[in-house]
Amino acid sequence: MRGTITRTGDRVRTIEYLTSHGSIYAPVLVAGIAIALTSGLLAPFVVLKRLSFIGHGVSHTAFGGAGLVAALGLIGTMGQGGLLAYGVIALCCIAAAGMIGVLTARSGAEGRLSDDTFIGIVLVGAMAVGAILMKMSSGSGPMLDLETLLFGSIVAIGPTEAIAAWVCSIVIGLVLLIERRRIVFWTFDEPGARAFGVNTDRARLVLLLLLAFQIVVAMRLAGVLLATALLVAPGAAALRTSDRLAQVVNRSALFGVIGVVGGLVLSFETDWPPGASIVVVLLLIFGVSVIFGKPRKIEGVIAS
Amino acid sequence: MSGASVEPALRIRGLSFTYPRAAQSTLESVSLSVQPGEVLAIVGPNGAGKTTLLRIVQGLQEGYRGEVRVLGLSPGEARRRGLVGSVAQRSGAMLAYPVSGHDVVMMGATVGLPGWRSPAAGVRERVIDALERVDALRYADAPIGTLSGGQLQRIMVARALVIEPKLLILDEPTVGIDAAGQERFADLLARLKEHGNLTILLVMHDLRAVASGAASCDRIACLRRSLHFHDTPSGITAQVLADVFEHDLSPIFRGLHIEASGEQPRPPRTDQGSHDAGHDHADGGSCAHH
Repeated sequence: MRGTITRTGDRVRTIEYLTSHGSIYAPVLVAGIAIALTSGLLAPFVVLKRLSFIGHGVSHTAFGGAGLVAALGLIGTMGQGGLLAYGVIALCCIAAAGMIGVLTARSGAEGRLSDDTFIGIVLVGAMAVGAILMKMSSGSGPMLDLETLLFGSIVAIGPTEAIAAWVCSIVIGLVLLIERRRIVFWTFDEPGARAFGVNTDRARLVLLLLLAFQIVVAMRLAGVLLATALLVAPGAAALRTSDRLAQVVNRSALFGVIGVVGGLVLSFETDWPPGASIVVVLLLIFGVSVIFGKPRKIEGVIAS
Repeated sequence: MSGASVEPALRIRGLSFTYPRAAQSTLESVSLSVQPGEVLAIVGPNGAGKTTLLRIVQGLQEGYRGEVRVLGLSPGEARRRGLVGSVAQRSGAMLAYPVSGHDVVMMGATVGLPGWRSPAAGVRERVIDALERVDALRYADAPIGTLSGGQLQRIMVARALVIEPKLLILDEPTVGIDAAGQERFADLLARLKEHGNLTILLVMHDLRAVASGAASCDRIACLRRSLHFHDTPSGITAQVLADVFEHDLSPIFRGLHIEASGEQPRPPRTDQGSHDAGHDHADGGSCAHH
């Protein structure tokens, strides 16, 4: 870490930042905890139902959304407090999640194309549209900060974003609470859930929209490319520590918080991008769970 | 339910179904009825239309012709009222899911309960009762990934029973289970029959499995697109099986422990036409002829 850590006297930068520059860095931690909690709640279902690729598809749609932001001349509002630009990006992500949910349900019923195919199409389509729109609008205004979009930024989060993150997290948590039995049944046994009268297409759509919502919230901090890590790593680690769903969900939320807080501290200390720092800590947690946790067979299904 | 003794648990009349864009119908003029408390085994080769028939009975498949009444109701309404329980051929359930057998049965019991409400004491009792009925209480707290195929099957049957259905559908319940497990399944079937009022619809393509459970079956229906036989197991002949399975199944047929005609079966027919007119009963044991 030599050359990257700049210490003021003997004090660790994180503590100094939080004490003397609290107004700047405290919202980042506050928002980070909200993001980590809800990501952790959703992560076990993402891992068990193998939705991480869908998460990638949805988050990459943000790139297309950013292209739309550029075309609409809203790039100047993408810094702190720029909720309008992020609102446009969020709408693109949520629309993509809805589209994937509806199309995969329809294709499943007709037995045509797989989920992966649709997600692959949405992912590359959004990236292509984003790149074209950005190119078309270049030179006509401020340039998009691609690094912030792709890897996240601490300075993009202020008190408004922290409040927004908590409001979104509470909404996600409430919807998850209301829908939990249907989502659990669906993720555990889709044909069985259908036979018990669960509208599995609706359960899929609800979970995908929650994921999209969560990715949009996490994107500001962790960036487009790394936001989905928050929706995978804590759940994968927690699944290796317990055979009880409630414990898995609780531990996933805990690992998420440790990953985000630890990653932000690492980011404060090293000036590394926050998204990358969070992912590094989450991977460490996952590594520890792989070494010390129980091996799990993810691909098995019951043939009764 | 005072009308239970009058109204068949399942009544199908002239049921035909063709999948969109399919050249041939999957089901053709199928008629059968099952009385409350009976166990009916529907037997047929792969692709005979068994699973389609089950989907229709469960209210999961629309677009059919003919009449289907489940306990006097449309299949969808019967399912919505929790009168039909089912165990799928391949449940699709994830072995890696961090739940116990008890949790799985609880899922079935609480699926309609709002997420913010905890299950009442009565629901917990129903879960224990269902596990007891299938003799699965001993391993109900073990993670499902550690259970054997037969134990998992019992958990799935308990999940179907927990809603206290009047009609229980078991789709290929012995697939993937060894010979000893099939024997235990026959015990399970006998155990379920003890409760009297539960009507059971079994679907099987493996005649050996039928042979092991035949003692518990009140009737057997042989299906290959149309119904070739629908009567008590003792009435089945080698010729019926040869027609349905298009194969000489005499060795297995003898394993059914039912009276054989003594004749060698004729080569299978290709027109799927009817035969065995002696088994055409007016009700309860009717055989569809075409």
